[in-house]
Amino acid sequence: MAILLSGQSKVIVQGITGTGGSFHTKRMLDYGTNVVAGTSPGKGGQSIHGIPVRDTVAECVEEFGADFSVIFLPAAFVGEAAIESIYAGIKTVAVVPEHIPIADMMVVRKAAAERGAIVIGGNTAGIITPGEANAGIIPEIAFESGRIGTVSRSGSLTYYVADTLTRSRYGETTCVGLGGDPVLGSTFDEILQEFDRDDATKAVVMVGEIGGVYEERSVPAVKAMTKPVIFMIGGVFAPPGKRMGHAGAIVEGNVGTAQSKIEALKSAGAHHAKTFMDIPEILSKLGI
Amino acid sequence: MRLYEFEAKKLFGKFGIPLPEGRHATGKDDAFRASRELGLPVMVKSQVLTGGRGKAGGIKIAQDKAELSNSIEELFNLKIRGLPVTSLLIEKALNIDREIYLGITINRADYKLSIIASEAGGVDIESVARKNPEKIHRVELEIDDEFYSFQAFQLANKINLPSEKLRDFSKIASGLFAFFKSYDAKLAEINPLVLTAEGELVAADARVSLDDDSLFRHPDLKEMGIEKRHEEGELTPREIQAREWGISYLDLDGDIGMFPGGAGFGIMGNDFIQYFGGKAANFMDSGGGPSPEKIARMLMLLDDNPQVKAIFGARFGGISRCDEFAEGVIKFLKEHGLSKPMVMRMTGNMWQEGVRLFEEARKESPGLFERIEYHGIEVPIEEIAKRAVELAREAK
Repeated sequence: MAILLSGQSKVIVQGITGTGGSFHTKRMLDYGTNVVAGTSPGKGGQSIHGIPVRDTVAECVEEFGADFSVIFLPAAFVGEAAIESIYAGIKTVAVVPEHIPIADMMVVRKAAAERGAIVIGGNTAGIITPGEANAGIIPEIAFESGRIGTVSRSGSLTYYVADTLTRSRYGETTCVGLGGDPVLGSTFDEILQEFDRDDATKAVVMVGEIGGVYEERSVPAVKAMTKPVIFMIGGVFAPPGKRMGHAGAIVEGNVGTAQSKIEALKSAGAHHAKTFMDIPEILSKLGI
Repeated sequence: MRLYEFEAKKLFGKFGIPLPEGRHATGKDDAFRASRELGLPVMVKSQVLTGGRGKAGGIKIAQDKAELSNSIEELFNLKIRGLPVTSLLIEKALNIDREIYLGITINRADYKLSIIASEAGGVDIESVARKNPEKIHRVELEIDDEFYSFQAFQLANKINLPSEKLRDFSKIASGLFAFFKSYDAKLAEINPLVLTAEGELVAADARVSLDDDSLFRHPDLKEMGIEKRHEEGELTPREIQAREWGISYLDLDGDIGMFPGGAGFGIMGNDFIQYFGGKAANFMDSGGGPSPEKIARMLMLLDDNPQVKAIFGARFGGISRCDEFAEGVIKFLKEHGLSKPMVMRMTGNMWQEGVRLFEEARKESPGLFERIEYHGIEVPIEEIAKRAVELAREAK
């Protein structure tokens, strides 16, 4: 069991003929991901790495039963591509490119909510269900099938957390990258709910960072969880008003500070891990 | 990305928002000429890309010639939050009866557009929201909703605007909304929107922040001289150098040079250093898959910084490969040499190969590696951070 992505998922790549799309399609295939097709308008009928290319997502859904899409396109085209997938009935869309216009992402969020789709990103490393499927740009090396779900705003922290879980023999069910853009398709609350419904997931590690209100927004979802949530927040000592790499990671005034996030999540009953090493310790104290 | 007031007002003008008569002045002569043309009294307003201008003394009223020359002289010598004043907006002074607030922003808690109005204008709206939340009124819209006149009328009623000003207010609010949507703004504020003694509504100030990632849709802005800009205030020479090299970099006030991979770990790594009793000298992010040249430049930034006493290196090879990372470090050591102690760790993609390259290079020239400790996956990152704190202490 896993969330959002499994070995049975029928994955397509939007922008499969581009440099990034083609390169990562190969990686995903090598991992064993069930990539069934890709799109590139005007290049329908060609194929890449033995994978058929179609003009539209609708064709991929009709012909191959596609239900998961990874987008590798320039930021200006991402909004429309995500809407195309949502309209075609794709269940989960991962937006890998960064710097998606805010207004576009807001329209995508609305379309996804109306049609029951889940969009993650922009600027996500993707989703991996170890041993089954890898959708996006996540390096598989740190991951191993296991019992803990992870959800993070940062790619590099996803790897570190998974590395810690793998080495402490907990392993991961599914690891979800929310993305570093300022307006995201999904936030912690939506993903936490998915993990709560998944029997194989015994606990969830969520990794947030300064800026925005995603962590604070997740409080009701954390409270409603029937399984433990462990969290880390990056940027406790970050200087206010400075932009640190991620466009989202900027602190303005008291909004979005690490302290406000830590207090909110603690009050919701989640366990604070200051460093990666704290995670297995907390898990074992919880009897997991 | 923030706009200057004079730029924002130029754009507001296109949407029928009434503005005080004014001129943009880039020099003192310009400013005097503008004031003569407009006639005293005038407002003399410094143009800087930061808030808090009023409190910093960046806005003056000049009733007579003596006040005018004092104001112009003073403001051109002023720095506001470290930013020098390089131009002024000279405007005909208004006879103020009332000051209102009108603003539009994206509410990031629920991803709606908020059109906000308050009768308590002319002051910091965040403090009004804290102290007198009952004075804040809003209309919340979905991203693709219409903003109807009746909704503006309702806002006008709530802020106790006289009925005969209802339609004027609605035109301004609709104009601001149209501006917001047309230019992909994140924030558009008129604070204050002044009701003059003569009974006119006039946008006395304009504060706008646009979505950097949507600028490509608005080529007309470039024609107006509005291009992608950075708003962090004054950059240090190292920050400017890093920007030229395409490295995301900030100077901080500690003594441990941070040489990480990935923005997320860059932020978290600084916390680790502080948890273990140290303090980072910088934030840095290489961006995905840095070339050996870029890695050498990252080290250059740290090695040339006298504040840095020790370096903390962490690489998680994702798409980027640890062997390429090691090559970059070795290239730097051979060409430049590292004058500070460094402890680093590589894991992920090709980490064994990275460690092997270091071993070979050390055998070849042990001198280069005297003060460098490198580890693979066997040592947890926390131990590396602790060691970096120790090295910095020993170096003092």
